[in-house]
Amino acid sequence: MTRKREIRFIIIRSLVAICIALLVATLLIFISAGGDTFHEKLEATGEALRQMLIGPLFRMSKKKGTSFELKRLADILAAMIPTIFTGLSVCIMFSANQFNLGAEGGIMLGAFVSAMVAIYVPMPAGLHAVVAVLIGGAVVAILMLLPALLKTKLSVSEMVCSLMLNYIIMYVIKFLMNTYLADKSRGQIMSYPFRETSAIAPIVNNTTFSGAKLTWGFVVAIVAVILCGLFMYRSRWGYAIRMIGINQAFAGYSGMKVGSVIVLSQVLGGFLAGAGGGVEMLGRYTSFSWSALPGYGWTGITIAILASNNPYMVPLAAFFMAYLSKGCDLMATYAKVPAQLIDIIQGVIFLFFAAEQFLAKYRQKLVVKSAEEEIARLNLNKEG
Amino acid sequence: MPDEKTSGPGEYVVQMKQITKIYANGAAANRGVDFNLRRGEIHALMGENGAGKSTLMKMLFGLEQPTSGEIFVNGEKLVLSSPSVAIAHGIGMVHQHFMLVPSLSVAENMVLGMVPHKSGIFIDKAKAVELTRAYSEKFNLHVDPEAKVMDIPVGMKQKVEILKALVRGARILIMDEPTAVLTTQETAELFVELKNLKKQGYTIVFISHKLNEIMEITDRLTIMRKGKSMGVYNTKDVTKEEISRLMVGRDVVLSLQKDKAVPGDTVLRVRHLEYINEWNKKMLNDISFDVRRGEILGIAGVEGNGQKELVDMLFNFNTPNAGSASVNGKSILGLPQQKIRELGVALVPEDRMLYGIASGASIEENVISDRSGEKRFNKGPLFNMKAIHAEADRLIKEYTVLCKSRSQQVGMLSGGNIQKVVVAREFSNHPILILADQPTRGIDVGATEFIRKKLVELSRSGIAVLLVSADLNEVMELSDSLIVMHNGSIAAYFEDTAGLTDEIMGEYMLGLKKQSAEEVRRVCHDQET
Repeated sequence: MTRKREIRFIIIRSLVAICIALLVATLLIFISAGGDTFHEKLEATGEALRQMLIGPLFRMSKKKGTSFELKRLADILAAMIPTIFTGLSVCIMFSANQFNLGAEGGIMLGAFVSAMVAIYVPMPAGLHAVVAVLIGGAVVAILMLLPALLKTKLSVSEMVCSLMLNYIIMYVIKFLMNTYLADKSRGQIMSYPFRETSAIAPIVNNTTFSGAKLTWGFVVAIVAVILCGLFMYRSRWGYAIRMIGINQAFAGYSGMKVGSVIVLSQVLGGFLAGAGGGVEMLGRYTSFSWSALPGYGWTGITIAILASNNPYMVPLAAFFMAYLSKGCDLMATYAKVPAQLIDIIQGVIFLFFAAEQFLAKYRQKLVVKSAEEEIARLNLNKEG
Repeated sequence: MPDEKTSGPGEYVVQMKQITKIYANGAAANRGVDFNLRRGEIHALMGENGAGKSTLMKMLFGLEQPTSGEIFVNGEKLVLSSPSVAIAHGIGMVHQHFMLVPSLSVAENMVLGMVPHKSGIFIDKAKAVELTRAYSEKFNLHVDPEAKVMDIPVGMKQKVEILKALVRGARILIMDEPTAVLTTQETAELFVELKNLKKQGYTIVFISHKLNEIMEITDRLTIMRKGKSMGVYNTKDVTKEEISRLMVGRDVVLSLQKDKAVPGDTVLRVRHLEYINEWNKKMLNDISFDVRRGEILGIAGVEGNGQKELVDMLFNFNTPNAGSASVNGKSILGLPQQKIRELGVALVPEDRMLYGIASGASIEENVISDRSGEKRFNKGPLFNMKAIHAEADRLIKEYTVLCKSRSQQVGMLSGGNIQKVVVAREFSNHPILILADQPTRGIDVGATEFIRKKLVELSRSGIAVLLVSADLNEVMELSDSLIVMHNGSIAAYFEDTAGLTDEIMGEYMLGLKKQSAEEVRRVCHDQET
């Protein structure tokens, strides 16, 4: 297959996947839509779809018509910040064939540690946030040594280990908050406020951007994407990670230090998740009040799968997920689609998108097969 | 008990006519093979590895479909589209690698896929045990129905496999190298059982290349070589020597220009290597030899006689029970592969798809896998992509890898080109010792020629080469001197391959002859140890 045909194929297939997903979603919305007559139902469905598809970027009002709104775009971009970090984290770990699910706990722990640095360690402005985020990342990186070393030394499943670790992290943080760190003067469990020096500033200081919490954290996330891309495709360590992911026996035979690289991939993944937690915490909040796992780690897994573990594709996948989630929120708010259905619709859309990735593998097999048949034909001609 | 004495098609339970099988990668495994079985006989199917006997039997068992040709079972023309069709027509297969679930009991394995039920829901274990007992007694194959498969010895696992086929109604049993994993006592026991089955009218195909066993147990034999049948014989009418000559032989020799070797210092020194595998079978027995600079030492032998284990030890895929191996005086046993490579050892692995390549990665990524950390390919923390592209392009050109570009996936290449990618990497990073394990198996003539020429060229430039090959043509053509392995030991050492004939080789390869310890010891060029 030529490169051109290849790209055309991918675009067509993505469109088909999205269309099928929307069709199924439409059907579900129609079934649950309010209204007594068929016509009313149809109208409600149309409204819901409009909210979901164009609502995330455009304000729709009966008087002024549909108009683009910068604030909504800024909201979506801001929502991408933590999931870009977890997406990158999962990309690197999954590339080495390590199904470490610790990004979820990692981002919570990173956020918590950064928050503590922001509260209790006085430092000059500018430096404060950087140090807090780096310490948050470092602590999670060290913690990820646990599943990584257990895997390489004792063959303990990193999946089970990291999954359980998430809950340990969550409950330890809750315990510390409840027992020692909560600001008792508040009506709910939350920490003392961060020092002002630690805040991550909005990119543009106007109400649109600061309201959306679109901070320099977004720029940091994009820089992280580029660094991860360079690391994975342009450095010997990233190369080793990818080769181990493709064929571990080959990597070992070639003389790569398989164990060390597996540990490295998980430590790096931990660092990214932790740093992402710090960036999110110091950019969006003024005190620490998370009492449950934030869910960004799970979204990160979805993003990594959509991006086929390619760091450069992570922002696109993160944008898709943020857009979808925002659209579904709007649909629930304005179009009276029951909240439970939102999750189903989101699931359906994701399913078809991920299924497109499965098709990619199937197609790969087809290509190999057709190539082999070609060779067989050539050989036969030679013999005959 | 042959119950049909008449001639004609009725005499045979199985007839395979003019079977040709061409695999998707273009390899012709069978070419116009005729094969037939009489009712109630034990029929040997013989041939070297790659002769096509497994392929032929896979087609009879429905695992593969013939490209052309016809199969008759009990006179009826059949299309055996899957094993279940073959089983329905009374054909069963006992695989060399057992197809059993280790964590289940013998009885549970017996009834897999045909589980007896209690009140329609629960698995009737008692019934399964009873069934196993009944069959076990009927055929005199003693197994413990309640033991877990993982706890029973290999010999009993094989009995379970045989019983499994019998329970499913098999009247024709295909046994793929059944004795390969058995100890001597277990083999003797198996033969008693097979003779017993024969008495009850069962037909058995016995795939093997062990001459003594064939002579002892079979009635007739079919010999295959390079995908073709070399004829059918009554076992009592042929001698071992004749079988050996028919089985082992060469095509027209493609002569290879080769200067005489001028061996230098010893590079690889192996002494008294011993290895006992997990089934307590001695796979390597006191193996000692030297490989010197500038020479190719060949290891010939029918596969499964310890060659694979030997290479595994030398590249630390496994650890021997005793003995030593060193490269330029430094011990290599147990060293990480990275350290072995640093000493200048390169390996062309037997299993190229598992070890040789990462099939989902590009050609470029595959050729730099052993050198990605080197200074010349790195600029600070990042790769020097220019240098890497140049290296990949150079190797693709020098080794004539047929591809669209260096970024093409290796898995998309043909077998010959995949192997060229492997040797391009292994031959090009200044090795002092090349271990070439079956370097040209299953690849096209062009690539084969190329790789053989390259091996000779490298050895003449002063590299030590250890060539392991089951291809007689290859070892005899390429090697300067040669050892033959049989049953885990060195059966013979030939200092010079000139004047060696296929007959002589065959006799040593199949264990009819063995050199004395003194003769074999000449392969250790320093005589002190």
